[in-house]
Amino acid sequence: MDRFFPTDDIVAERSQNPTQGSPFPGRRHEIWAFSRLRLRLPRPLHPRLIGAGATLLVAVVATDLAYSKSLLVQWENFSIWLLTGGLLLAMLAGIALALDLALHRVPRIDWMRFLGFALAVLLSVLNALVHSRDAYTAVAPQGLELSVIVAAILVTLGWRGWSVGARLHPFNAQEIQ
Amino acid sequence: MIKSTFRAGSAIAVLLVVAACSQKIAPPSTQYGANPVLPKPHQYLLPPMQVPPGVGWKQGTTPAVPVGFKIQAFASGFEHPRMVYALPNGDVLVVETNGPAAPLYRPKDYIEDKVKALAGSDAPGGNRITLLRDTRGDGVPEVRTVFIDHLNSPFGVVLVGNDLYVADTDAIVRFPYVPGETRITSPGVKLTDLPAGPIDHHWTKSLTASPDGSKLYVGVGSNSNITENGIAAEADRAAIWEVDRRTGLKRIYASGLRNPTGVAFEPKTGKLWAVVNERDEIGPNLVPDYLTSVRDGGFYGWPYSYFGQHVDVRAEPQRPDLVAKAISPDYALSSHVAPLGMVFTQDCSLPVRYRSGVFISEHGSWDRSPLNGYKVVYVPFQNGRPSGPPQDVVTGFLTRDQTKSLGRPVGLAFDRTGALLIADDVGNTVWRVSAATAPTGPAS
Repeated sequence: MDRFFPTDDIVAERSQNPTQGSPFPGRRHEIWAFSRLRLRLPRPLHPRLIGAGATLLVAVVATDLAYSKSLLVQWENFSIWLLTGGLLLAMLAGIALALDLALHRVPRIDWMRFLGFALAVLLSVLNALVHSRDAYTAVAPQGLELSVIVAAILVTLGWRGWSVGARLHPFNAQEIQ
Repeated sequence: MIKSTFRAGSAIAVLLVVAACSQKIAPPSTQYGANPVLPKPHQYLLPPMQVPPGVGWKQGTTPAVPVGFKIQAFASGFEHPRMVYALPNGDVLVVETNGPAAPLYRPKDYIEDKVKALAGSDAPGGNRITLLRDTRGDGVPEVRTVFIDHLNSPFGVVLVGNDLYVADTDAIVRFPYVPGETRITSPGVKLTDLPAGPIDHHWTKSLTASPDGSKLYVGVGSNSNITENGIAAEADRAAIWEVDRRTGLKRIYASGLRNPTGVAFEPKTGKLWAVVNERDEIGPNLVPDYLTSVRDGGFYGWPYSYFGQHVDVRAEPQRPDLVAKAISPDYALSSHVAPLGMVFTQDCSLPVRYRSGVFISEHGSWDRSPLNGYKVVYVPFQNGRPSGPPQDVVTGFLTRDQTKSLGRPVGLAFDRTGALLIADDVGNTVWRVSAATAPTGPAS
């Protein structure tokens, strides 16, 4: 799959002609052309923050299940802290994405992916409110349901990495200009 | 897939908003007495909340009382006064106190702390008892001393003979009392431990003595709203303990009482009564706080059910066996009023129609909009049972637009002249309510 649809991160590595593979316009395009500098180009910041946040939000499924089975409230406490951490990282990821766009580190947003991540964040905000209830209804049934939906969205989106940028491949790279 | 999830998500959100808006709130009067109207419970994303910031009284302003009454500040400048107690010689004890710092177990605990701070409920307590002496009986004390210092979140106080018992949050401590003295320096002797930290969610320990003085009764609140700190944290809690005064041995007298903040013996029948703060976050009209006689061995529902067999789904695993035997309390005061003090009227010199019943202080709601409580009410009794709806006696603790609280009533007592004393932990004042005409002395 990757051979035909490489991500933007590896387009440059594979391209015979670095200029054609460059996702960057203007002056940065020239810098891109110098292979010695290529490795020093700033990579987008937001994917790693999204990756870290998504990991926490996916883990909520496990702690919610553990609470549902054991009724030990410490699992429920883990869930709400995971949600809180995931949402804080999501906020940082949003800032990082804005930065990446401003600095042209991301060529073009894939709006479907953006909306997918945004939906996961929105549902997680609801989930944090559900998890702030007291005792059993903080998890069952709505908390666990929301956790599973969010995890499904994130795993689906994260299958090809955590970038919100559009996928590039050599055949349509010129579209970016 | 994403689109359909999004539709489902927004549908859920819309339903929740509609559910929240369409809910009509019945007035508190529908929840007075033995059979309060109980709406269906809700599980909220954000529970209804209205928290008026506590701002204190401007110079010269007071709470309001009906015609025929007079109110004046007995003393002020306290550090979070929560309880008042009158000694036989007329001296008045003021317990200045607040709870120990609560641990941060969830992000919600942080937010709750901020809400409490806004309402003026987290001001540091003095951890001491102050003595006021008003020898002339005119409501202006001439003597003010620190009576007992360095206590540990004290609340209840009771004198039996020459033994003064103070219910700290973690123990009942006995102090030797000599009538007329204005300071106790002896460290006191621990009578028995009480359930306390590290969580100590409901930290107040209310205290009274049996009419014959042989037993003490201690109200011990639950360690959570509804077991969110785990059922193990609730061991020995949400109960009234009976403590043998001589040996310190104790047993649970009644249980399932979420937070019994006031305990007192009804003077005619000699039966134990309590005011109890019920659970939050399932609706503006759930669950009504109540006044009830307390039966030996009785179970009153918490956490599994309320007002008899109304099951609370938040308490898992459920206990149908306990729900089946849950006693429905005698008298609902309406929801979230937070009754924190009670005093029967045997020593009362207020107008005659207020001399056969119980005064209850309602600290006021946070979990309800519009607000409820923030007043002192009188519940008339006949033949040792409540005989009518609660009547407002002391009001005006809120600004007219209900956006701020000037004070919040807590502990109640009658002084030597039969005037009602009210501890106000936001106004840091003790109020004195007397008959507008010269006091006629205590009722029989």
